[in-house]
Order: sequence, then structure tokens, then C-alpha cells
Amino acid sequence: MNCCLSPQEQLLDNSANGIENPSRSQEGHVRAFKILDRVQNLTPKVDVQRGRLFTESMRKTQGEPLVLRWAEAMMHIAKNINVYIDDDQLLAGRAGIQGRYGILYPELDGDFLDIAVQQLGMREVSPFIIDPEDADVIINDIAPFWKGKTFHENLAQSLPADTLKLTYDPNDEMLSRYIVNETASFRSSLQWVHDYEKVLKIGFKGIRKIAQDKLDRLDPFSPVDNCEKKPFLTAVTIICDAVVLWARRHSEAAKEMAARETDSERKKELELISEICAVVPENPATNFREAMQSQWFTQMFSRIEQKTGTIISNGRMDQYLYPFYKADIEAGIITEDQTIELFECMWVGMAQFIDLYLSPTGGAFNEGYAHWEAVTVGGQTTDGRDASNDLTYLILRSKREFPLHYPDLAARLHARAPMRYLYEIAETIKEGSGFPKLINDEEVIPLHLAKGATFEEIYDYAVSGCAEIRMPNRDTYTSGCAYINYATALEMTLYNGRMLLHEDEIIGLETGNPIEFTEWEDFWTAYLRQQLNLIKHAFIQQHIIINMRYKHFATPFGSAMHDLCMKNCVDLHKPNIDGGIDLGYFECIGYGTVVDSLAAIKKMVFEEKKLTMQELIDTLKVNFKGKMDIQALLKSAPCYGNNDQYADSLAKLIDKTSQDFTRQYAKELGVHLDLRLVPFTSHVPFGKVVSATPNGRLAYTPLADGSSASHGADTNGPTAVLMSNFNTKNYNYREHAARLLNIKLTPDCVEGEQGTKKLVSFIKTLIDLKLWHIQFNIINKDTLLAAQKEPDKYRNLIVRIAGYSAYFCDLSIDLQNDLIARTGHANI
Amino acid sequence: MPSRQARKTVVVSAPTLMKQRKNPDMTSMSDIHREGIVFNIQKYSLHDGEGIRTIIFLKGCSMLCVWCSNPESQEVLPQLGYNPAKCLTVNECRRCRDICPENALTAGNDGIISVDMALCTNCLKCTDACPIHALNTYGYVITVEEILNQVQEDSLFYSRSGGGMTLSGGEPLFQGQFAICLLREARKQYIDTCIETCGNIAWSVLDEAADYLNYIYYDIKLMDSEMHRKITGFDNTLIKKNFSRLIKHHPDLPITVRTPIIPGFNDTEQEIDKIIDFIKGDSDVKYELLAYHRMGTPKYKYLGRDYSLGNLRELSQERFTELSAFAKSRMNQ
Repeated sequence: MNCCLSPQEQLLDNSANGIENPSRSQEGHVRAFKILDRVQNLTPKVDVQRGRLFTESMRKTQGEPLVLRWAEAMMHIAKNINVYIDDDQLLAGRAGIQGRYGILYPELDGDFLDIAVQQLGMREVSPFIIDPEDADVIINDIAPFWKGKTFHENLAQSLPADTLKLTYDPNDEMLSRYIVNETASFRSSLQWVHDYEKVLKIGFKGIRKIAQDKLDRLDPFSPVDNCEKKPFLTAVTIICDAVVLWARRHSEAAKEMAARETDSERKKELELISEICAVVPENPATNFREAMQSQWFTQMFSRIEQKTGTIISNGRMDQYLYPFYKADIEAGIITEDQTIELFECMWVGMAQFIDLYLSPTGGAFNEGYAHWEAVTVGGQTTDGRDASNDLTYLILRSKREFPLHYPDLAARLHARAPMRYLYEIAETIKEGSGFPKLINDEEVIPLHLAKGATFEEIYDYAVSGCAEIRMPNRDTYTSGCAYINYATALEMTLYNGRMLLHEDEIIGLETGNPIEFTEWEDFWTAYLRQQLNLIKHAFIQQHIIINMRYKHFATPFGSAMHDLCMKNCVDLHKPNIDGGIDLGYFECIGYGTVVDSLAAIKKMVFEEKKLTMQELIDTLKVNFKGKMDIQALLKSAPCYGNNDQYADSLAKLIDKTSQDFTRQYAKELGVHLDLRLVPFTSHVPFGKVVSATPNGRLAYTPLADGSSASHGADTNGPTAVLMSNFNTKNYNYREHAARLLNIKLTPDCVEGEQGTKKLVSFIKTLIDLKLWHIQFNIINKDTLLAAQKEPDKYRNLIVRIAGYSAYFCDLSIDLQNDLIARTGHANI
Repeated sequence: MPSRQARKTVVVSAPTLMKQRKNPDMTSMSDIHREGIVFNIQKYSLHDGEGIRTIIFLKGCSMLCVWCSNPESQEVLPQLGYNPAKCLTVNECRRCRDICPENALTAGNDGIISVDMALCTNCLKCTDACPIHALNTYGYVITVEEILNQVQEDSLFYSRSGGGMTLSGGEPLFQGQFAICLLREARKQYIDTCIETCGNIAWSVLDEAADYLNYIYYDIKLMDSEMHRKITGFDNTLIKKNFSRLIKHHPDLPITVRTPIIPGFNDTEQEIDKIIDFIKGDSDVKYELLAYHRMGTPKYKYLGRDYSLGNLRELSQERFTELSAFAKSRMNQ
């Protein structure tokens, strides 16, 4: 039988045969396709303006309170940065030059700047173009100021030796060890969502007024008011003025362009842009178009302010925009096509901003120009009713008809989601680009009630970043969290505290020579000690980070939109904000790899005695060379992802023991530092430090990602993958955070109406199982292989990797192979 | 050729069950402990009945269709299958070398093991030794209880999708009493049941199984009896007779008749027309065509057998769609 193609593959096939995507000529999409065609194949360029202007200002304001310096720097940028109105665009505002671009945040890891400048253009993965003149600016104007001042350097100096050697190479702190990895130095904040609704409702004029009123009422004799509240509130007024000024400069630019424009249609468009930019985001939005422009300015200014991990998320767009849309459509001043057109103007705007990571670690975490600017649709209202509306369906339609992997679309699921919603989600997933990812209210809501949220707050959560959630006015934790390589704990158990990569260096605990272990319990106990030791150092690391970050970073813009920051007059990056819930995590990398390895050791070495520990270790040391029979034997042991209790019970224990630690010690940090299983693309670099593992995995190849099964190990189909995920969760604990689950299906699994129906019932079951997240990748293995061979033909092939979509051909060979290796669940 | 003798010896009989027919509660104890031979249990099956299902592939068949895509199902007893492409070669692994009592395993120049099927007595010792399952046993003994425990693992998916358990094969009713016990116990546990049968089976078995079925797929391959014998090993008298009895005695059991379209045998409007003439009566029987595919051909090699259809090409997608449309219009579906 001919295997069917997913719609995405069909489009590629058509375009190879000269058949045009029918959406291109549809009214709502023409403009966005036109813009996209201009930019999509451009190599991103570095724009140094933000970094230069920020540095200029910071150089002048040394000694002032940080939050004030930040606001002043933003004002300096707002005044001086180039503003652009792109051809054909309806929305104004970008953070840098036209085309695909990345901007610099030297305050973050500027100590990498000189290396980065030399390497950026030559990077094999995610390269950037940098003009020689701009390189000079970086080397002469920007980098010298930050040397010795960056957060990264300060952190490296402050970690205790035992923690440091698990974090960085002790001889070169630029190099991560990928054992207990810190992620606070390559982003200014964890993933985040602003309260855009507030901006649309009261404008920055309204926010500024709140700050000014508070300033006017400060106690002139209070030291706290003088030293802390006053600078904060002043910073808020400055930042509000800054964003308004920046918007107005767009208004003027549009006006000038309109004067020069000869095309009468475009002239009118530019005049309207000019009018709108003079009004928002200063004032409340009065219609849908203004609301879109106001939101866009807000998120772009936020991108300029700081490097939010995975890019600032967009919140519940179908909710806060709906009142504007409804009023406009009822009044007949906007059509569905015009609404879609505006959304797609925003999506192509997003597509041009590339999240530039200077450090090799940051780059490895976020391969393929990764971005998770999550747009949330669906879910529930603050009183627990279904929230889907016409805008929800327009956003889903746009995702089906405009094949772009921006934005990262997330759909909330709940038990009473209407059939139309579930079917349209399934139809959108079937398009093959992997969107939307799904987040399950039935897990998220009770869990966060237990963590201290109110019903109203958690019903209104927005998806943030890769798989997390935020309550924009209740969440207060922004410190990047530790990624723990659990597979190294296993390796250190096998080699008595050592790793093959680092030879004789003692890195973990000396838990004994495993050859002398006579019982499974001996090995298991030793493993748990290694695991515990890594978690311990992750917490030490985090403790230091929490108490250091606010001295390096401020976010007056983000804080201005946050109820609690405004109430307490304190910057969002300060630890333990009164009334807030601090939702952090520590990441377990290599879950499936460790579980399968432990199951193989338990079964083959200790129970069935099919090989000795000595044989196992000898085999691993030679990376299975000449011992493929032992590799095969090890692989035949029970694996996670097959609904097999033998493996799943071990997995559940790893989950539990990890949560036990946080239950005991997170209180000291005042943070819910909870177990999370979401790897970005980091399971690839983390795998590069781990030698051969007893699950048959070859040395230095990728680890299992998130809570997904090891590559190819899930042979019982996707229902078993879901069940294993369920089996291994400890629902009596609240000390867990997101779990990411990838499932790849071949198109024949979802073909036709029957296929949609079955996908819907699969999703319904996921809701029942209270699993946090799922994303589907509907693709043929053959398509991936073909794309690897002929990248030019498949440039726009979108694939799902760990919580986001990327162009397959932007990925490294490693990651491509990794995707291909994941089991495609064909149903023959 | 599969052994005909094996087939006779393994049919499981259960006189007690026969007596207690239609009184399932009395028989549950023995039902769950009954053993049969299965060669695969496949979850997340989407194309064999309503919803998300688990298919139980029972070993043994009452026909020998030349195009069979599950040749490992034809014999009822567990048997050796060997896939040389998986063999690690003697350079990496020698685990099977000295195990064969008949010396049927030898290594070629490339280091890959080959099996002399003429010497093989099917003792299956080598399949235990092979770590990568290049030497593999098709079929294993399993109880009703063990099967249903696995089936129940996906019960949440059934409840959301309307799915359940489908028995396939081989001919699932070839191990007649085992299949009946399995179906009866499944129904007792409120699992939706479905079967894919060729109909070439004793009426008493089919009749009793039908009592515990929610749905049935009934294959009718060809109307011409002689041709039928030629390509399946049996004429179709019993199949036709059973079909009529089924309609008559189990009028409430929904039934879909399926015809695998085999190029050169029945891929014509005329053949389909004849089948439809036969099945289209007063009852609301459904009809669908299955496209011939070659997915099963490697397994013939693994069994040391030749695939008698050689390089028969799959029907073009267009032609299959055409025939399906024809069938649909004839059935007024």
C-alpha cells in the first residue's frame, strides 16, 4: 500500500512538483506569506544596538540602584535604537534589524562575547552573521565593560568547590560539565508570561499612574521607602515613559513613510499604523487592532529589556483579546480574514526574532533557533467553565493554514472541553507540524491548588515556555534552575564515583566497587546515594543563584505589569516576594536511560545472572565493541514506556526519591523546587558526557528526553507510553512540576475522519490520566531520512522536538538522528 | 508447508464448557485458567474495529491462503522463525552455536548464521539463546487470565474510544474453545469484543463464539468454489453456509464482510459483484475491501518458506479506490 502523507508532507511534495499551497492566495494569508517569503531563508544577523546602548547607559549609572539603572538603560535604548516599519506589515515594532536577527544581552554572559564573536559565523548549528564593524563594537565598546561583572563569572567564583566541579570544568569555567548544570547564566529569567490584559485595559499610562500615586504617598522619613520603594517606583515611571516614547517613534516613522509612499493602499495602511502607535500602549486599547499592536509593543519591549528564557510567552491570547474581537465583529469593523491577517502579521514578526545564545551551553540547550513564545488557547474561565471561543478557533485555523512554527501554540485541555475544540485540536495536530502542544488542566489545577494557588488564579493559568505554566500575578520566581544529569549518577555508581570521560577524577561519591556488590539492593542503594548527592549540589547551586541574581538583574518593565511587585514595590527578580508563589524546579535528564539501565542490571546481573557485573563493566568500557550480544541481551530487559511494572516501578521510585529531597529541603529556599522532566534539546549535550549505559545505549549518544521512553524502547505502542507515564508518577506528592512527553505517530494512524476520532479519544484518555503534557509528531520516518539526504528540498519541514517545533534542516545531524530513532508508531 | 498433523493434535476441547453453555457465570474459574497459543498481542490497534483496540493474534489457521500476510500464524504450535538480517554474526555472538542438538545452525563466510530447516526439529533451544531475537519463537502458551490482564491495561482507552479486544490470527476460532473462553471472560469483564474470522470453521464453534461477540469481521474471498480451493486450500461451501447461519441465528450481531483484493485473483468488479450478490440480503451487513500488501513477505523467509506469489505487485491506489467505490455503490453504503 502507498503510505499516506501528512498534510505538511503533502504541501512539501506539492511544492516540489510546482503545486502551490492553496492558502497562499486566500485573503487572510496573502500578506503574511509575502513577508515570510522575504525572510524565511535568511541566515540570522546579530544586531549590536541593544547591547551597545544598554552598555553605554550602564557605564554612566554605576552606583545607582540596579532597578533604576535598568529603567534608565531602557529609556536610553527607547530614545536611540533604530525603529522600523516593515514592508507590508500591519504591526510596528522590532528589537533589531530587518530580516531574521538576534540581539545581545552582555550583562548576562558577556564574558563569552569575544569567543562568541569569533565563533558565531562558523557555528555548525544555528549560525549567525555578524558584520566586521559590529564585531569591533562588541570587542572594543561592549565586552571590556562587562569583564569581571557578569553573573556568570560571579557565580563561578561563588560556588563551593564540590559543587563547582559538577557544574563547570574546574580548569575552564566557560565549559559546562553537564552533570549538575546551572541555567541561570544564559538567561535573565525563567520562562515568563506578562499580564497583557492589564496593558490592554489600563495602558502604560494607567500603570504609570499607579506608580506615581504610590510615589506621592511614600513616607519621606522611611529608610525602606527611600532606599527600595522609591527607586523601584521611579523605575516603573521611567520604563512606562520609555515604552510610550518608543511606540511614538514608530508613529512618527510611519507618518514619514506614509508621506513618501506612492502606493495609495499602503499609504493608508501607514497612516493608520501611525495613528495607532500614537495611542497604544500608552492608552487602553479600544479595538482589536489596537489591542494587537499594544500587545506586540509590550512583548517586543520586554524582549529588549531582558533575555527571558525561551522568549517571553504570549499568555491566553484567545481570552484577553476576545472582548475586543467580539465588539469589533459585532460592530462590523473587522472580519475573520482581517483578524487572521493580524495574527499572522504577529506570527511572522515573531519568526524574525531569533533567541541568540552566546555561550556554548546556552546554544546546546536551545538548538535550532529554539523558541517557546507560547500562545495559549482554550482551558477554563476563572470560575471553571470552558473558555473556548471564536478566537480560539481562528487561532487554530491560522495554525493549520499558515505553515509556520511561530508561535509555539499551546492548547489547554480539560475534562469538559467541547467536542469541537478537541476535534479542531486533533485536526491541527494532524497538519503535521506538531502544534498545538497540549497541557492538561486536570493535572495542573489540583497540583497548584496544593502549592497554594487560589481557584481563580490557577483556572486562569497560561502556558509558559516549553511545558510550564504561569499565573502572571501570583508567580514570583525567575531564577534559572538546575539540570541534573541522572545518567551520570548511574555512571558514577558503576565506576565508584568516577566517569570515563574524566578518567581518574573523583566526581561523585565513592560508593564502592560494584563488582563486590552481591545483592541488587547494594547497587540500588549506591545509585540512590549518587543521585541524592547530585540533587544536594543542585540545591546548593540554586541557593547561591537565588541570592546573587537580583544583584545582577532587574526587570522594571516586567515588574510594572505584576500586581505583587507593584504592591510590594519590589523588582520581580528579588527573592521571596510577599504573597507570591515561587515555582521553581530541578530537572531530571536521562530518566528513561537510567530506568532502563537499572532494570537491565537488576534483571540480567542480579536476578537471572546472565552476566556478571565484571562482564557488564568490561562491556561498557569498550562501548559494546565486539560484545554486541551482551548489548542485545541488555536491551531485551524490561524498558520504561511499555507499561511494564518491572521497569515502571523503578521509575516511580526515582521520581519519589527525588521528590523526597525537595519535600525536606525546598522550604529552606522558600521555593517549590520541584522535580521536572522537560529537557529542551539538552538531552543531546547531556548525553555527550555519559559513556555507554547498561540499557545498551552507545557512549556519548543522546539520553532519553523528558519523560519519553528511550529511543526505540517503547515497542508496545503509544497507549503503553501513556500508561508508563501514569504508572511512574507519585500522585500523593505535590513536589513535581512539568513532565514532557513526545509521541511520534505516522500519518496513517490519524488518517481520515476515523483517524481524527481516534486521536481525540487518545487525547481524552490523556486527560483522564492526569498527564501534564503531550505533543505529537506526525511524520513518516522516510520523510525524515529523505530530508536528511536532501535538506534543500525539505527546508520548511517542521518537526517536533522536546516542546517546540523547528525546521528539521536547522538541526544538527545528532538531533536529526535522534528524531529518526524515536519509534514511529505505525499501525499496519 | 505447515504440518497438518500438528493442527489436529492441538485443538483444545472442553466438554465441561459445552455443557454449561449460555451460563457463563458457572464457568469463569476454568475459563480464566484455560491455555492457548498466541503469537502477538498488539495494542493501539486502530484499523480492526471500533475505537482503540488490542488485537490478540491466535496461532493456527483453517486455511492456507497463498497471499497470507501472517504465515507464522498458520501452524498452531510455537515454531522457529529466523531473520538473518538481525544476526550479530559469530564475530560478536556465539550463543546459539553449540546449542542446536541437530547441528542445524552453521555460520557462513560473512559470519551470519544460517538455519537448515530440514534438520530443525523445532526444539526452540536456539531462540532462548539468541539475545537479539534473530532466532525467534513464533507463538507462546498463555492463559485467558494473562491475556485479559494485558487487555485491561488499556481499558481507559477503550472507555474513551469505544474500543476493546479483537481476536485475529490465523483463524482465531481454530483454537475454538480457547477463543470462546477468552471471549466469554472478556464479556464478563465488560470488554467490547470483536473477531476477524475466515468462516471456515465448525458451525458449533462459530455459533457459540457469536454469543460473546459485539462485532464480527467475516472474510469472503471469492465466490467460485474451485478457485477458492486453489488459492486457500479449501473450497468455500462451509464459509457460505456459516455466513447464512450467522445471519439467521445471530441477527443482532453487527457484521462486516471483508474481501482482501488480490491482484489477478479477485480484483475485478465481477468478482466483487458476485460476493455482494451473496451477502446483500435483508440484513444490514456491511462490506469493505482490504488492499493486498506485501508487508508479510519477509516472514516467509524467516520460516524457511517460499512466498508463492513471488513478486506480485500491489494494486495501484487508484484501482483500489475504484473498486472500493464500486463496492460502496453496490452496497448503497
